Amino acid sequence: MREETMTTPELSFGTSAGTSTTKLRTSSLKKVWKRIGPPSIAFILFIGAWELFCRLSGLKPYLLPKPSDIVLAASENASNLWVSVYTTITEAVLGFLLSIVLGVGFAILLASSKLIERSIYPYAIIMQTIPIVAIAPIIVIWFGAGMNAIIIIAFLIGFFPMLSNTLIGLNSTDHNMKNLFYLYNASPLQTMIRLRIPAALPYIVAGLKISCTLAVIGAIVGEYIAGIGGGNGGLGYAITVASSRLQTAYLFACGLSASLLGIAFFLLVNAFSKWMLSSWHESEMKSSEG
Amino acid sequence: MTTMTGAKEWVRMERLSKVYPNGTVAVKEVDLTIHEGEFLCFVGPSGCGKSTIFKMITGLSNPSSGTLQVMGASASVARKRSDTAFVFQDHTLLPWNSVIDNVTLPLALRGVPRKERQREAERVLEMVGLKDHMRSMPRELSGGMKMRASIARALVARPKLLLMDEPFGALDEITRQTLQIELLELWRQDPEMTVLFVTHNVFEAVFLSTRIAVMTPRPGKVSDLIDVPVPFPRDESFRTTPEFGQIVRSVSQALKH
Ligand SMILES: Nc1ncnc2c1ncn2[C@@H]1O[C@H](COP(=O)(O)OP(=O)(O)O)[C@@H](O)[C@H]1O
Ligand SMILES: [Mg+2]
Repeated sequence: MREETMTTPELSFGTSAGTSTTKLRTSSLKKVWKRIGPPSIAFILFIGAWELFCRLSGLKPYLLPKPSDIVLAASENASNLWVSVYTTITEAVLGFLLSIVLGVGFAILLASSKLIERSIYPYAIIMQTIPIVAIAPIIVIWFGAGMNAIIIIAFLIGFFPMLSNTLIGLNSTDHNMKNLFYLYNASPLQTMIRLRIPAALPYIVAGLKISCTLAVIGAIVGEYIAGIGGGNGGLGYAITVASSRLQTAYLFACGLSASLLGIAFFLLVNAFSKWMLSSWHESEMKSSEG
Repeated sequence: MTTMTGAKEWVRMERLSKVYPNGTVAVKEVDLTIHEGEFLCFVGPSGCGKSTIFKMITGLSNPSSGTLQVMGASASVARKRSDTAFVFQDHTLLPWNSVIDNVTLPLALRGVPRKERQREAERVLEMVGLKDHMRSMPRELSGGMKMRASIARALVARPKLLLMDEPFGALDEITRQTLQIELLELWRQDPEMTVLFVTHNVFEAVFLSTRIAVMTPRPGKVSDLIDVPVPFPRDESFRTTPEFGQIVRSVSQALKH
């Protein structure tokens, strides 16, 4: 993380000063290699060892498939896999967006009245601790098996972190700044829009990072429970099918896709957060270190 | 400019006391009348109730007993009239707003049209020498510039009463002395404006004030009122005059009681 923050100013400097660009570019390339080199080598060694172990030990492929088997299974079922990934992405993204809109919206509502907050917040905390798997079947009964139920499960799992993070952010406004707004006779609405929401932004962004990962998990769990069959099932559904048929290599391919999806989703949200907080600077530095 | 007799009463405290709920007697029976156009410094060690007096004047905190009149009304009524402005030790600039948006905040909260806000902001930024930085973000400014922006924000609504609670406390000595001179200039430009200034620095108090209220702690009281009958404009040379040294000595003496 620290190296990353060090390379950024140099890169932007390189674009403005034309003459020394190449020098800077090679030095930043070196830095990039320093960062991604060692883990890449470790990855290649790990895959090689795995492949070698499977070939030498003669382990049954349904117990532990070789990396090459996994790649083969993925490419043979590429179109199915893509449909599954695409379905899961759609569900996760929609659930995530819902959890942002409703999480932030409810937090603002709660924060604008101490009375409402005091009466509802304890329940919001308790709801957060309810295991989503336990209430998922109820959601399926209410909304029917399929996309709707899955989106709602993905939404619910990301909703509470969004809500509590935003709420903490809205209530953590600097005391002196609150006094300042009070002394200049700001209305509660003005204080909310001009002070509390901007001050909560770093907390909201922290909530985004938690919720986006959870939304992917929520979507896959939702598919386990409310998965739709046929050609439109998501990764969770594909995983249940593959495991019941002992197609372990494809199971691995699905699991890997799910992980990659989660990581990609997180990186995307992370990049968006950085961009959104660029005017905030200090807090952005803080959250990128953590 | 500071005709004591006949000038309008801006703030009047009579046997003003504040006891916090936990039993701390922060301010005890303070009698003090402040007139239009004064530059009055409260000097005293920390914990002697300087900020508490300010909190009562601004209506952030209610007196426990005694009377307090701000421009002929109660503190909360006076605040609603928006004739009062504030500068804290911390610059309290919003980090997500540019300098100009920070400076126009008091006007924006009051619904003043954008054009007028812009004009007023440029006027005060010119006064504090930050006109070239009005599009900068607060983090791009030095400590002294942030404090100037904070002062500009206080002046933007042409206040009649300016309350400053240790505004230069976090600055280095050189910046502090420059800002003192600048502040005196700003005050002199508006003969109506009264400044109440809190500091624990005796030299700062003597350099700035027309009058000094010396405070002693436990319980917080105004123990002495010391006039500084030195005409304005005052510049750096004032700091080295015998007169300056003499007033510093008498204030320090009063603080020892
Ligand atoms: N909200 C509060 N509750 C209880 N005691 C307080 C509170 N604010 C200040 N005090 C106490 O009142 C006294 C005066 O405080 P303050 O006015 O801040 O002093 P100063 O600004 O001169 O340093 C101190 O002893 C302080 O601890
Ligand atoms: Mg204080």
